[in-house]
Amino acid sequence: MASTAACESIEDSLKLSGKKSFAGIPEATFVEDVDAYMKDREGVESILRQLDEQHGKYKFMELNLLARKKKLKSQIPDIQKSLDMIQVLEAKKKTNELIETHFLLSDLLYSRAIIEPTDKVCLWLGANVMLEYTLEDAKALLEKNHETARKNLSQVHHDLDFLRDQMTTTEVNMARLYNWDVKRRQALNAK
Amino acid sequence: MAAVAVSKDSLESDSDIHITLEDQQKINRFARQNAKWEELRDDLKHKKGDLQNLEDSSDDLLLVEDESAPIPFVVGEVFVHFNMEEAKEKLEEAKSKVKKDIESIEAECTNVKTIMSDLKTQLYAKFGNSINLEAEEE
Repeated sequence: MASTAACESIEDSLKLSGKKSFAGIPEATFVEDVDAYMKDREGVESILRQLDEQHGKYKFMELNLLARKKKLKSQIPDIQKSLDMIQVLEAKKKTNELIETHFLLSDLLYSRAIIEPTDKVCLWLGANVMLEYTLEDAKALLEKNHETARKNLSQVHHDLDFLRDQMTTTEVNMARLYNWDVKRRQALNAK
Repeated sequence: MAAVAVSKDSLESDSDIHITLEDQQKINRFARQNAKWEELRDDLKHKKGDLQNLEDSSDDLLLVEDESAPIPFVVGEVFVHFNMEEAKEKLEEAKSKVKKDIESIEAECTNVKTIMSDLKTQLYAKFGNSINLEAEEE
């Protein structure tokens, strides 16, 4: 909870400092000409510090997005496994055979069970809720969840790409500014 | 992570340091492709591990002598008992699916590498030593 609150305040501050584009990620201004950019700004150090801060904020948002991506990436195979199971149940129902299984009682303990061909399955919906569905309904629900998870994953990828672009732009800006400053000092010293 | 660094200690002439919007976009695109390539590499490693496991299982299956004994086959988190025929079928299905996934990942890898080497040539041509586009070897 604290991290989302912190993220929101950072997003707000970024909103004020930069243009907003995707999902709360401000766009980094690309500096065409360093000379013109620096003409009316004093204090290279403070600008560098600002850019560094911006870079740090981008990194923080990247961590968030990566965590979300990881969660989604682990959800998709779980949904796939449930879909596989339903397929097996359907197949067995057609042949009207009994299914013998070893199922998970706890992490290291399995137990034997004999399942009669059935039409109903129970799906765990989270938040301590489990509902009974027919095989077709369960399949439809799981497929819908699968689709949603995949769509969310591609959205997160999209956002990550954009975020990385902004980070790279900021890094390049920092390097160019630093080089420009070094050259300026050399020119001053040479006089 | 992607190592795209414009050299901080560069004492090159002005023309190197002047970066246009187009160059920035190329650098950004390179960073994106690099990140994607690393992800694909990880995925490929996992899939190849899966395929190896499936191959080992099917080898073990051939060693089983008693044709009528039920074979517990993993579906999700439970083991379902199948007879030899069905188990072999399931294994073949799983193997071919993983092989197909591996093929598509490898095709994408090749694609990404082509784009990357293309961009590398362009960027090195313009910036020479002022830019470092090599992947960090871990």
